[in-house]
Amino acid sequence: MTEIIKFKINEVQPEKDKIFKEIGYSSIQKIPEKIQNLYEESLKIFRETSNPVGIISEISKEEFEKVFFVEGNNSAETPIQNIYRKADYLSLFAVTLGKKVSDKIREFFRKNDFALGHLLDCIASLAADNMVRKLENLNTENLGILYQQLPRLKHRNHRKDIRTLAYSPGYCGWHISGQKKLFEFLKPEKIGITLNDSFLMIPLKSISGVLISGKREIHQFKNNFSFCSMCKTKSCLERM
Amino acid sequence: MQILNQISEFLQQGDDEKVFDLTKQAIAENISPKEILDNGLIAGMNIIGEQFRKHEIFLPDVLMAAKAMYAGLDQLKPLLISEGIPTMGKIVIGTVQGDLHDIGKNLVGIMLKGAGFDVIDLGRDVPPEKFIETAKKENANLIGLSALLTTTMINMKKVVNLVRADGSDIKVIIGGAPVSKKYANEIGADAYAYDAGKAVEMVKEMI
Repeated sequence: MTEIIKFKINEVQPEKDKIFKEIGYSSIQKIPEKIQNLYEESLKIFRETSNPVGIISEISKEEFEKVFFVEGNNSAETPIQNIYRKADYLSLFAVTLGKKVSDKIREFFRKNDFALGHLLDCIASLAADNMVRKLENLNTENLGILYQQLPRLKHRNHRKDIRTLAYSPGYCGWHISGQKKLFEFLKPEKIGITLNDSFLMIPLKSISGVLISGKREIHQFKNNFSFCSMCKTKSCLERM
Repeated sequence: MQILNQISEFLQQGDDEKVFDLTKQAIAENISPKEILDNGLIAGMNIIGEQFRKHEIFLPDVLMAAKAMYAGLDQLKPLLISEGIPTMGKIVIGTVQGDLHDIGKNLVGIMLKGAGFDVIDLGRDVPPEKFIETAKKENANLIGLSALLTTTMINMKKVVNLVRADGSDIKVIIGGAPVSKKYANEIGADAYAYDAGKAVEMVKEMI
């Protein structure tokens, strides 16, 4: 089943302290007035130009196997290939903030308004992440409802027992070319996202991937894969 | 010269309007464009670069200073060209094929221009051949490559291989989150820079 979800801007707008942290300021630092003004201006433009929307579609493990493995360019071993096999529920997703905000960022950089472009870019990136978090929570809730309908799983406290996490092509050994099969299955063109020849999504402020739902421990893995040594963010640690 | 110090000061404050006006005034006072560039704009950007490296200021401050710099530089550029004043060198930069992350690359471009280099920015998702084609066409000294994904950094090796196969003396510098000096050595790149400030430093050494 495929569902299109329209988000309200307030649902996805990032928190102020997260935005300032992203641009380098800690929560205890005094923010200079010119940076405060920049933040307010970029937030206003973000609200005016963003159109947050997502698409989500349930997928079986067998179908996901085709999406994940077919292109053949993934790293030899990845955490995802073990995690999805233990999942209770999978769905493919894509979210976007739309074309206008990406065009605006590009326009600011073209006009040498780099600071405004950068801040708008940061806000938009955080907002896109927030959309993914919303879908993760939605899947957890939906799985909770499903559990209630299954006698053997009725006892589970879905909020305590289940974790839904998103995994995207381009990360953790899942090659970026994996977008091709993902797009064939999900058809995010329905919400205005297309894929170019280099497997990059247009508009730029879009995220796609798989949502994997199941017991919390299925998402635990040792980050000692071949590509882990090159990863500077280590975002898997806080996600686990 | 007082006016050049003022240009530097207002640049550091990110006041593009003031830098524009003062640059215009300095030109009108027959101060040489090279002197305005070196002792006004570049002097200011060097201080900004130093403060950024020491974490005294953050990226938005650098970018506001860069906007101010461009407000002055855009007036000087035609004068520098007409006087035949060479740039520090020419560099082609871009984010490699399959990768869309470009803030780091943009910052490198901005700071290199601030340091007096001629920068041709190919943008993001750039095929390997385009780097070398452009570098040869533009007689560039250097190619700068950026990647943020472990799955796209392999394209840096393709660019290096093309440059070596061509036999040209164009140098290659790489950067980006998953990249390291070790990786630069592995793929035969000439240099690796961990941030924009370092990139400018290394480019100055290499050219």
